[in-house]
Amino acid sequence: MFFLSQLVGRPVRDRDGDVFGKLRDLIVALGERYPPVTGLVVRVSNGRDIFLPWTDVEEIDTGGARLRTTRIDIATFQQRPHEIRLRIDLLDKQIVDVEGRKIVRVNDIQVAPVEEQLRLVAVDVGLAGILRRLGLSGPGQRLARALHLEPEKYIEWEDVDPVESSVSSLKLRVPHEALGTLHPADVAHIVEQLAPRDRAGILAALDDERAADVLEELAADDQVDILEALTPEKAADILEEMGPDEAADLVADLSQERQEELLGLMEPDEASDVRELLAYDEETAGGLMTTDFITVSSDQTAQQVIEMLRQLRPDADHVYYLYVTDAEGQLVGTITLRGLIVAEPTTHVREFTRPEPISVAVDAHADEAARAIARYNLLALPVVDEEGRIQGVITVDDAFERALGEGWRKRLPDLFEPAEEA
Amino acid sequence: MRRTASHGRRRAIGLVARIGLLLPVLGPGLVSGFADNDAGGITTYSIAGAQFGYDLLWVILASQVVLFFTQEVGARIGLATGQGLSGLVRERFGIRWAAFMAMVMLIANLGTTIAEFAGIGAALSLVGVPIPISAVLAAVAMVLLVSQGTFGRVQYVFVAAGLGVSIAYVVSALLAKPDWGTAATRLVIPALGTSPAYWLAVVGTVGTTITPWGQAFIQSYVVDKGLDRSNLGAERIDVGLGALLTNLIAGFIVVACAATLFASGQHDLTTAGQAAKALGPLAGTSATILFAGGLLAASLLGLGVVPLTSAYTVCEAFGWESGVQWRWRQAPAFYGLLALFVGVGALFVLIPGLPLITLIYLTAVLNGILLPFILVFVMLLARDERLMGDLRSGWRLSVIGWSVTAVLVVMSLVLVWVGLFSSSA
Repeated sequence: MFFLSQLVGRPVRDRDGDVFGKLRDLIVALGERYPPVTGLVVRVSNGRDIFLPWTDVEEIDTGGARLRTTRIDIATFQQRPHEIRLRIDLLDKQIVDVEGRKIVRVNDIQVAPVEEQLRLVAVDVGLAGILRRLGLSGPGQRLARALHLEPEKYIEWEDVDPVESSVSSLKLRVPHEALGTLHPADVAHIVEQLAPRDRAGILAALDDERAADVLEELAADDQVDILEALTPEKAADILEEMGPDEAADLVADLSQERQEELLGLMEPDEASDVRELLAYDEETAGGLMTTDFITVSSDQTAQQVIEMLRQLRPDADHVYYLYVTDAEGQLVGTITLRGLIVAEPTTHVREFTRPEPISVAVDAHADEAARAIARYNLLALPVVDEEGRIQGVITVDDAFERALGEGWRKRLPDLFEPAEEA
Repeated sequence: MRRTASHGRRRAIGLVARIGLLLPVLGPGLVSGFADNDAGGITTYSIAGAQFGYDLLWVILASQVVLFFTQEVGARIGLATGQGLSGLVRERFGIRWAAFMAMVMLIANLGTTIAEFAGIGAALSLVGVPIPISAVLAAVAMVLLVSQGTFGRVQYVFVAAGLGVSIAYVVSALLAKPDWGTAATRLVIPALGTSPAYWLAVVGTVGTTITPWGQAFIQSYVVDKGLDRSNLGAERIDVGLGALLTNLIAGFIVVACAATLFASGQHDLTTAGQAAKALGPLAGTSATILFAGGLLAASLLGLGVVPLTSAYTVCEAFGWESGVQWRWRQAPAFYGLLALFVGVGALFVLIPGLPLITLIYLTAVLNGILLPFILVFVMLLARDERLMGDLRSGWRLSVIGWSVTAVLVVMSLVLVWVGLFSSSA
């Protein structure tokens, strides 16, 4: 096992032991858990960089490389789509440390023979890597030990997600699979650490639903910047996956032109929900509500309602309260998920409905709605029009955000923050 | 009814989240230019005016032109790459050069931070506060400025005070009945000197106007503001206005000092009390208080910007967590650097009998000497086609950029040369 910094610049010899160039870079093919080295870039005496396939290499270590052949095919290097050059594309660049959920810089790269192939095993992001590259390993390590620092820090390649920066040539080579395993809030945390320019790239690589979840976790201004940077099609797809209230808040902050463009590209159903919400003043209950809610009728049985929920597969946020409406759409009561589950399957909804539900009018002040949620300990509050027909619901998290300001979760005490790595 | 676009405050991270909130109506160039008139700025321009009268006005004009080009190229690199200066140096030239640049930045900015501490000490000594107390006060001020949110709230006070003292210099210069004819001549026709003191003043004036930290600051600011190529035109205007404003103020400080201190034979400025007399024509006996207030505000503004900028720059080079959104244990390097800045700044000014004004002046010279090292990286990056794309410096801008860098190198060499020559003579 050795480091890229110990290989670069070492002599490359042919089968007879004659030096004909210096090692410049290693090519690896991404995709496997430990990507194999598929070739070397060698600087030959006339200053040109040539490419040698791995099959020509007899052995390689910190003393240099030796080839199987004497005949060298002077092939100019052509980078294939899934290949990266370790030194040019990865060394000194930023990566996402998926385990640590943060952005770090690659100080060195660890390669090791695995299954008879030299493979990319880990990236070195510790002080040890910096010291090695600066030629200060000896004194630096002693100093670090004396200060009780832990100089060694490696990240396994499977826990790494390269960042497509505007600078590196990694664009489109990165599948961002590792990011898919993180919680959206953690991905959002990572996205925030990137330069504004590079943020949209990660969102573009995620599937629409995850991208929507991540986007919802970001600050309003960052959301707008990212949505402006994405292609209109991708942006519209992501908006469809967001809650209508979140989507409406976001769309409202876009330019008029961009609004129309994105709404036009969205599915008509989702677009009309968003348009409807856009019509409400932000300072009212209507501006705070979402149109994602579920209504049932008094005549349905518990069994029928549960069947319906199975088909609708609603989000967790919207399932705790179900709203009972009459034939005119007027709100007559609520049922809770608990009530539904403990009821006998054949019981009618009216028998476990809570009548006279607490609600607010669409044009009520947003603060009034937030206060009602706090006072009555509600998870959600229905919003009704003048005729008492339900128009939407305000969820407790939106009420919190209203009361405490954006980013309130970030300001909670340490207790609520994700555990630190050891 | 339309909803409005306000959704609370931006949760942006990075340098600008702290510093860049400074007058959001202003652009990066204006902010950066304004922060240039810190302790080092006021002191150096005062010394230049007192010592050489109007002779150094050409340096002010030249600095303005150079400041425009260096800030323009910094902003352009930020617009094109979306990355900070030391991060780019790391990616483009490798870790050794990044470490070298971080060292240069660290030395220059430690100097500047010491100057801000000395500025606070000098200002407070005018109202009778002993240096040990003002050093402690300055250290407390810096910790407060750097902790979350404080700088954002109080920066306007510093900017207003800084602007106030700038206007005071303008008025004072006008009231002092300067020799406008000579001033105008010296502005465009260099009056070259050969003494070490002259070249010390030249390098100091350039070094306090065009700073290593200013170069990192403009680029990070543009990046954190999320500006891109489409903002190039506006950025150039903004940078131009910033350079103009900075140097207009610098010019009036020189003129005010030339018409008062220089004219009355007070050529050697070693104390803040002497420097304050330049505001005499406006404030009379209150000049000392006015000067103390202005120097204090300017030093605090610098203290809120420079240590943070340099901690960010160094951490960016090595890929360490930086920013006050992290806690101590998560970003030890970042906070360690800030602690180093407070410690060195405070301890340095405690050295008994230290000539504060001279110290501030010499840190400006140090900045001037180190500046070319930073500019070489900047010019190389600006020519890089892969990074810059169509925003790459064309041949005209390249020639200007490299000429400026070369002139600055020559200038520093001349200073060293005349220093050696005259001391051996």
